[in-house]
Amino acid sequence: MISYITEALSVLLANRARSVLTVIGLVIGVMAIVAIQVCAAGMAGAVNGVFKGMNANTFYVLPKTSQGNNTRAGLHPSDLQMLESLPGIETAIPWSGGRTMVDAGHNRVRLKFGGESDKRFSTSPVVAGSTITSDDVGSAASVCVLSDNAMTRLFPSRTAQSVLGQSIYIGSKRYVVKGVLGKAKLDTAALGFDVSNDVAIPYTTYYNNYQRGSAFFGIQVLGSGSAKLSDLENAAQHALEQTHTGAQYRTFDFGFFSKAIGGFFAVVGAIVSAVGAISLLVAGIGIMNIMLVSVTERTREIGIRKAIGGKRFQILAQFMIEALLLSGFGCFAGMVLGVLIGGFVDIFFISRISGVVAPVPWLQIVVIAAGFATIVTIVFGTYPAFRASRLDPIEALRYE
Amino acid sequence: MNSTAVIDMRNIVKTYSSGSLEVQALRGVSFSIQPGEYVAIMGPSGSGKSTLMNLLGCLDRPTSGTYLLDGIDVSQLDDNALAQIRLRKLGFIFQGFNLLPRTDAVKNVALPLFYRGIPLRERNAAARERLQEVGLGDRGNHKPTELSGGQQQRVAIARALVNDPAVLLADEPTGNLDSKTSAEILALFGRLNEAGRTIIMVTHDEGVAAHAKRVLRVLDGLIVADQRPEGTLIES
Repeated sequence: MISYITEALSVLLANRARSVLTVIGLVIGVMAIVAIQVCAAGMAGAVNGVFKGMNANTFYVLPKTSQGNNTRAGLHPSDLQMLESLPGIETAIPWSGGRTMVDAGHNRVRLKFGGESDKRFSTSPVVAGSTITSDDVGSAASVCVLSDNAMTRLFPSRTAQSVLGQSIYIGSKRYVVKGVLGKAKLDTAALGFDVSNDVAIPYTTYYNNYQRGSAFFGIQVLGSGSAKLSDLENAAQHALEQTHTGAQYRTFDFGFFSKAIGGFFAVVGAIVSAVGAISLLVAGIGIMNIMLVSVTERTREIGIRKAIGGKRFQILAQFMIEALLLSGFGCFAGMVLGVLIGGFVDIFFISRISGVVAPVPWLQIVVIAAGFATIVTIVFGTYPAFRASRLDPIEALRYE
Repeated sequence: MNSTAVIDMRNIVKTYSSGSLEVQALRGVSFSIQPGEYVAIMGPSGSGKSTLMNLLGCLDRPTSGTYLLDGIDVSQLDDNALAQIRLRKLGFIFQGFNLLPRTDAVKNVALPLFYRGIPLRERNAAARERLQEVGLGDRGNHKPTELSGGQQQRVAIARALVNDPAVLLADEPTGNLDSKTSAEILALFGRLNEAGRTIIMVTHDEGVAAHAKRVLRVLDGLIVADQRPEGTLIES
């Protein structure tokens, strides 16, 4: 067996150009399948990661719109405490706010404005100052945190640091800027479901200044992470319906979104794998073609080998082993290239943009690609090897 | 004809058929060759000498008749058994040398040993020994393209000898060589024969055939003459 491998290796090395041409197709096929699988896994993982980071334990509860202006359904600060007392729920804050005119001396712009708690769900980094603290919430302080968007529109050409301590006005109320955020790693606004505020003030302040006596639009609930989100949603809905007799509530979270996106990437991955498989098939047919050409080109060689006593299965084994060595090499080279390219794209683009390092099932991808390439080679390597083994030595020797 | 013969052909017939057309290439050939003989087979093209050579070389089976090679009836063996006979009993030398291209002399000579399953180290050692024997001890790592015609033919002879065959079969061994190189190759054949090798050589060149100790003349699928060096002509 080792003799066959060394013999096959020496034949392949003696015919380098032919060998390289034979494997190029396979290298590209395997490379494509591995690289694309890695990228798809990284992308799906990144998207899921971003959504999980933002919304894993968050859900929203609000009165059902079908009940019209049922005043019983209105949500009030007492509901916040009630929800926070439920097991598994950490924080409940009003889901409030909307667009409003914000005044910063020279500039008056319309921005998204709302109350928030000291719990942050945003992936935007803090570039100056700090975010809302529990003390701010407790004392209903007149402070605000600006988003990157608010910052550039209210205070163009100023540094984030120099804006700290500046005042902005919303209606007659004055707020002191205590923190500035940078750009979000993933622009969720572009995806169409951004719920983050441009100007955030403590939700207690918001309630005191704008909503005293009236109901909240909804409540944003943060679970502790120990309980299943859907269970918490059911519990919250049930508790609210008990408290507000006759009222109905609905809840939603962004889990569906991350599931949908995950499903989307799974479909993309499957389609891409199918294309990759087809390309491997094409590569396999290419290998068969070149091996067949090789059989023709080597007719005389096969004739010599048979004339001096090479048996049928020995010729067959030689060609099969040559094909397997070629495919092994092509597969390995393709995998290395695919992992390098896929890994590069994953690390330098997908992970960097999303801020999430998603686990990639390397082993699975590599095993599938290698297995498929091996099958392709065995299937397509067999026919030329069989043809070679069946050549008549007299005819083969006469072949020019 | 007797049982000590290394080659014993009895009433060999070979018919080729293509469609309805049947061509009798050999029409009942009988002869035997004793160990240590040096025989030339001569005949014009179309005489059936190539067919005879293919049969002698176990590359093909006769349509009828018996062929004993070194005491073994090889007339109706299957392909693999014939391959085994070629490997163990025969050494081929061709007009076009038929070395593996892009493969050095040692590997070419060692090839039959590979098919016998001899380990690489032993193969290469035996191959170098045989190359020494044909005067190419220093050319072992040269590829066929780096060797002259005469040298290539000597590599082929070394390859034919490497399995220590019962018979050396040479098909127009000097056909592609100039006269000086031809003389060298024929001298080598002479030395090998003196050392006890049985050599059968197909040629159409009287000058080449003259080196043999016995000449079989083939015409129209029959052996028409069996000439001995003494000049005795045996009509068959």
